[in-house]
Amino acid sequence: MKNLYFYLFCFLSLFIYLSCKKDAVPTNPGWTYDPTPYTVEYPDNFPIMVFDEDNPMTVEGVELGRMLYYDTLLHPNGDMACASCHDQSLSFASFPTVLPHVNLGWNTTFLWNGKVSGNIEDIMLFEVDDFFKTDLTKFNNHETYPKLFYEAFETEEITSVHASRALAQFLRTVISSDSRYDKIITSGSGVFPTEEELNGYDIFFTERGDCFHCHGGILFSDNLFHNNGLDAEPSANGLSEITGDPLDLGKYKTPTLRNIALTAPYMHDGRFQTLEEVVDFYSDGVQPSATIDPLMKQAHNGGINLTEEEKDDLVAFLKTLTDTTFTNNPAFSNPF
Amino acid sequence: MKKHTFLKISIFAFILFSVLSCKKDEDNGPGSITIQLDHTVKGDPVEIENIKYTCQAGHTFSVVNLKYYLSEIELHAKDGSSISVVDVHLRDIHDLSTEQYTVEDIPDGDYNSISFIFGLDETTNVDGGLENTIENINMEWPIPGDQGYHYMKFEGRYDSLGTGVIRNFNIHTGATMGNQNYFEVSMPFSEAAVRSNSWTINVSMDLNEWLQNPNTYDFDGMEMIMMNQAAQELLKANGASVFSIASVRKN
Repeated sequence: MKNLYFYLFCFLSLFIYLSCKKDAVPTNPGWTYDPTPYTVEYPDNFPIMVFDEDNPMTVEGVELGRMLYYDTLLHPNGDMACASCHDQSLSFASFPTVLPHVNLGWNTTFLWNGKVSGNIEDIMLFEVDDFFKTDLTKFNNHETYPKLFYEAFETEEITSVHASRALAQFLRTVISSDSRYDKIITSGSGVFPTEEELNGYDIFFTERGDCFHCHGGILFSDNLFHNNGLDAEPSANGLSEITGDPLDLGKYKTPTLRNIALTAPYMHDGRFQTLEEVVDFYSDGVQPSATIDPLMKQAHNGGINLTEEEKDDLVAFLKTLTDTTFTNNPAFSNPF
Repeated sequence: MKKHTFLKISIFAFILFSVLSCKKDEDNGPGSITIQLDHTVKGDPVEIENIKYTCQAGHTFSVVNLKYYLSEIELHAKDGSSISVVDVHLRDIHDLSTEQYTVEDIPDGDYNSISFIFGLDETTNVDGGLENTIENINMEWPIPGDQGYHYMKFEGRYDSLGTGVIRNFNIHTGATMGNQNYFEVSMPFSEAAVRSNSWTINVSMDLNEWLQNPNTYDFDGMEMIMMNQAAQELLKANGASVFSIASVRKN
């Protein structure tokens, strides 16, 4: 009996000890896990970025994510990488309807139809598992990746969760905040709008154009879904495809307008080739329907009925959102 | 034998300690009050996207979206004491997480009224006055020359006097042209006797009241009201009757 108590005591003590024990050292000599914390910097007038507490940002994680972003190894046949469709020179978008990877750190909904919501880790896990269907044995058997994943995540087995976390860390750093518009609104920058740009600003940020209710804020997107009146009979491949709710027919995610001059063609189906065509649509081509967003309050007039001069002003303003510091930033470029 | 007993006591003490460490705290502390924000049209719960209501101006209308700020929400007790519930609360009719706000650790007392500001006062309603969350940024009021946030976005559709042409309306309120346009609401209610227990107070907003009493709000001609101080004043006056206490109950 005495022995039984003794063994029970030992077992409990061992259990507590093991619960508190740190993970074992790597089996591969020369691998170390000592990551350097990474602080994402962005202007004060941007929203508070959402982080994943299970995926703390590190220099190693960001750099690994950047490699993965440009590596065709993600694709089972090696045909494409993320960057194949998300071209830095085009604000990480591309023809025909690829949404740009810009300021994703503030996104809570993803894809035109909102198929994925949450944070960047969620959308990257979708890309790795469902879009690419990545063969992770290629990473586990790779010459360099196992060590890099160990240094970033202290893992000796690479999973899609690790890959998505690395990609998410990189994309949180992919921030556009240095457009001509950003300089104009920064006091002391010495950059002032032209008369045309200023008129366009007034149209954009008042109910004259009423662009800001969906494309407002410093991110130029409300992260929500709207039917903006493209069709009298709204299509079913947007949000309604996910929710199954007929009230969501014709609703698509509001894309950011940052770098909008670089991301033609426009709309979820790429139906407009130029910004001028887009502005023409909002001026006179809006189609009322049962699910059109109430914010399209001039829909019964076909739109906001801009003059030709107002259209030019609005396009001039939209072009101030182009950020060449972003499109040329070497920290976002192909590391290979 | 003594040793044996000591071991027994040690094991028992260890297990007891482990169990107690995991046990949830007892709910015998101070009381709590939950403020629940509900919405009606003419007293009935709102049915989203249903053009079934008729306003005083004669239009049938529906409710599609509703977001608004209440600020400086306070509860007042019979003995003259007050407690702050929350500084700023953004209610979104589509977001259930904004439906209730619970304030814990309420001292025992007989609470019998609630007060709040509809919108934001001049110290908060400035650019960057609220925390830079995506939700607050989506409520910004960026009209050149103005600043701050929308107090309310009440959006829907209406059939213009039975013509069959469905139009959209946006009742967006806020400060404009130097006018603050927020207003204070204070409502008595049947006593909530907090004695280390929890209570729920249902505050109801009747959306139809924005469209009448004392002023008739006609959607026609009100397409752009963000820079229309006359419309903002009309709505502010109607706002005096939109809130009521629907119920006060012990949970």
